[in-house]
Amino acid sequence: MTDPILEFEDVDIRYRTEKGNDVHAVNDASFSINRHDYFGLVGESGCGKSTIADAIVGGLDANGEVTSGTIRYKGEEIQDYSEKEFNQNVRWKEISVIPQSSMNSLDPVMKLSNQAVEMAKYHTDLTKTEAIDRLRELFEVVGLSESRIHDYPHQFSGGMQQRAIIAFALYLRPSLIIADEPTTALDVIMQDQIIDYINGLKDDWDISMLMITHDISVVFENCDSMAVMHGGQVAETGSVVDVYDRPRHPYAILLQNAFPDVRFPDRELAVIDGHPPQLRGEVDFCTFADRCPWAQPECREGAPDAQAVAGDDDHQAWCVRADEMEELAAEHLEPKAEEESILGGGE
Amino acid sequence: MSRLSYFVRRTAITAVLIFLVASALFFFFRAMPGDYSSLLVQQGMNPEQIAQLRADWGLDEPIYVQYYEYITNLFTGNAGQSFRFSQPVWELVAPRILNSFVLVAPAITATYIVGGLFGAYIGRRRGSPLEKSGIISVSIFHSIPDFFLGIMLIALFSSTLGIFPTSGMLPPAEMIQLGDQPYWQRFLIPEFWRHYTLPFMTVLLYFMQYPTLIMRNSVVEVSDQEYLHYHRLKGLPESKLLRKIIRHASLPVITLYPISLAASISGLVLIEVVFNWPGIGQLLVSSVLARDFPVIQFVFLIAATWVIIGNFFVDLLYGVLDPRVSVAGDED
Amino acid sequence: MSATDPVLELESVDKHFQTTSSFVESVKERIFGEGPKLVRAVDDLDMTLEQNQVQGVIGESGCGKTTLLRTVMGLYDPTDGDIRFQGKSTSEFGKADWKEFRRKVQIVFQDPFNSLDPKFSVRRTIAEPLEIHDIDYERSDIEEMLEKVGLTPASQYIQQFPNQLSGGEKQRVAIARALITDPEVILADEPSSMLDVSTQASILNLLNDLTSEFGVSMIYISHDLSTVSYVCDEINVMYLGRIVEKAETRELLSDPKHPYTKALIQSIPIPDPHHKRERATIGGEPGDPIDMPEGCRFKTRCPERMDVCDRKPRDVDPDGDGERTVACHLYYDHEATAGQADEPAGEHTPETPT
Repeated sequence: MTDPILEFEDVDIRYRTEKGNDVHAVNDASFSINRHDYFGLVGESGCGKSTIADAIVGGLDANGEVTSGTIRYKGEEIQDYSEKEFNQNVRWKEISVIPQSSMNSLDPVMKLSNQAVEMAKYHTDLTKTEAIDRLRELFEVVGLSESRIHDYPHQFSGGMQQRAIIAFALYLRPSLIIADEPTTALDVIMQDQIIDYINGLKDDWDISMLMITHDISVVFENCDSMAVMHGGQVAETGSVVDVYDRPRHPYAILLQNAFPDVRFPDRELAVIDGHPPQLRGEVDFCTFADRCPWAQPECREGAPDAQAVAGDDDHQAWCVRADEMEELAAEHLEPKAEEESILGGGE
Repeated sequence: MSRLSYFVRRTAITAVLIFLVASALFFFFRAMPGDYSSLLVQQGMNPEQIAQLRADWGLDEPIYVQYYEYITNLFTGNAGQSFRFSQPVWELVAPRILNSFVLVAPAITATYIVGGLFGAYIGRRRGSPLEKSGIISVSIFHSIPDFFLGIMLIALFSSTLGIFPTSGMLPPAEMIQLGDQPYWQRFLIPEFWRHYTLPFMTVLLYFMQYPTLIMRNSVVEVSDQEYLHYHRLKGLPESKLLRKIIRHASLPVITLYPISLAASISGLVLIEVVFNWPGIGQLLVSSVLARDFPVIQFVFLIAATWVIIGNFFVDLLYGVLDPRVSVAGDED
Repeated sequence: MSATDPVLELESVDKHFQTTSSFVESVKERIFGEGPKLVRAVDDLDMTLEQNQVQGVIGESGCGKTTLLRTVMGLYDPTDGDIRFQGKSTSEFGKADWKEFRRKVQIVFQDPFNSLDPKFSVRRTIAEPLEIHDIDYERSDIEEMLEKVGLTPASQYIQQFPNQLSGGEKQRVAIARALITDPEVILADEPSSMLDVSTQASILNLLNDLTSEFGVSMIYISHDLSTVSYVCDEINVMYLGRIVEKAETRELLSDPKHPYTKALIQSIPIPDPHHKRERATIGGEPGDPIDMPEGCRFKTRCPERMDVCDRKPRDVDPDGDGERTVACHLYYDHEATAGQADEPAGEHTPETPT
């Protein structure tokens, strides 16, 4: 119905190790991000979400490799580009990154202006003055004083560094930004401002975004669609409203109920026992099976296929029992609607 | 605090340190067992002669007067007289400092360049057999006592292969021929360089361990930093990334450079003796054997000053290389 | 001490740090008569921890909550004020009192990955405090404790080492270690913040049960209001060293008074795509704890700033029922209380709630 800007189709990503038992970090991952959409990718640490980000921009560690499947950007397969073509045409110009831990991502011994000049040098024909002027404009856009473009990163507070990183991400006017835990190190108030700011970019800059986070509430609030990942597999994908109203993968269901909601301090939090498996060797089973209260023998006999939820191909759950979930997990699905928020005031 | 006042403060601290070292040396030498003047006394002297001698050398004055004289003399560049040669210490030491410097400065510099590059190279190949053998070989060279390393090189290159001379700076004939010509003239003589090679190689091999290992660790650490990942995501080519890694990783190595340069003075003592290189190390050894205390005291002072000034330059240099260190308490 | 006495009381507690450490600078300060610059990490703080109560302290990084915790633990001497444990002031503690205090007040740290000794087995980790305090124990005591904190079967965990445990399991071991000496008070420093969501929930549930099952009281500090609200009975909102608002959890969330509390609550993302949240309007980052503004410390970010905010606000009870306090000029009539004029900025006098 719409035209996707980024598509993952059955993507496997592995890290080779010396002893031969490779880490199968991402298995059979499929999702797609529509143009002008914000897409949230949620999961706990080690679930493969950052590996996906690295794979899109060719930033995987030297031993990492996309071993099968396709990643398409605006219909073109990313793997078909040579490193040089990718650099000239796609990287940063089309897809830029707001990295995890912005506090450590700016080169501490380079002035911010020089970091911009360097970026311009490898991707554009801008002169040094033009490059600095553009950074000046962007500093204004992200709410930093333009007089500070010649500062070093350590002279900025955490929130300011985060804004500088956003300015760098916007620097070549990309179409897609990958934001990898963009606010984890920040305090709540600052985090909220940055997220709000990132939200505003969608219309002002006509941007699509892949937002990678462990915080499902940030995704529910700010994204249009989402995917939930567990143990290197995509568990469920769909619009945020679909995943919220009708989650059909046990992990997606439990994760939502495990997440504290300040509106309901008395609600019992769902507990997910155990932890994801080590992804050494072939992953031909559901990686959530060991933690799942509704697991059956067949969950361990093969990796689950995608099931369209309620016949909607845009909402899929990778669970063999997806159809039964509404019944099985009834107690986890109901209470949301009934309780009343304790937050007062102008809600 | 401005950059200037930081500089002024560091300079003042440096000067105070040197002064304290000079004072400490004075008192340490006076505190050693036995009267200082007994060193001057030769057999067959009568008490009057001894008293005369003590008066000549100023040893009959109270200690604080001696100390005052010593310090004020130092300020005017007068470090006293050598017992052994009855010649001003400074005149004796100055050409030796130059000889030592000509050997140690280029050798340590080369050590840091070669060792730093080698360390960076093996650091980029973490876990490879090359890395392991690299670490082992530089460690072996540092584990062998420096003089023994020198002797082995002599055995190999002089005695066995006959490529280089065993010792000295120049053959005596050439030395006499040089006469009063400017110091640099000797650099034009091929013989000088043949004499220079083995001590140079000894210093190089012996001190390689520090820069190599530190650079290796530093490169490994910097390679894992988030900002490098970010540079990579931004699409900087590998060659550029490597340059950045080396720049970041160099900081600790650079700090160590002047310290090694300074510390090498002590290592140099035995190397100079083995190769009979006319530097201050060799002078120190011969002065110790002859108990020529004014010379020893002054050589110690020179060595300490060498270290202190070396550290002073590290501080200044670090401020330029790493803006985070620039000036304590500097807000912008 | 009767059963209804508070277990821990803090009265006007200050903890200030000097910023200058160099000899030269302190000499300069003496000569020019400047006072040393102070970091008022904890400033004039009152708190009462009743038995079986959980007091939460929330605030942004740098607000002084960690300093507060360390001061309560006795790692720092308070600069001023009084800390009373079971009615006795810690300033009067002798060596035996401190040892007793160390047994009765236990801590659970934020980072389970570094707070357990990697060379200690679970058994030894939990037994260590018992040995320190010369308490007799048997293996079954330790197993029982492991089961209580949800590490079942205990016989499987007891011989393991930290590197064999997941983050959540480590944190459970840390909690078991804190509970084994049968303490009165647990000090918890964001014990769930480094864990994944799925594990976090189980740790929060466990902490929630502590007061009822083990009869302990707890001070729980965190930057995350949404987790604090699950565990705490009362919440203290801390800003730059001072508690600006204190109320029962539900009351604080449903009817925040202080503009800072409002901003904190409005900044929490809500895990519900249907919910439209009104976002906070205050400016970015907390001020510098060294050069803090005179009067109300929040005034530089406050959307409701008035002229009177240059004076230090008193703690007032906005509802008049004695159950909550807020330190904000919005909530009292300055004319009516003219007799008790606001203190001029900077001066220190004890405050009394009206």
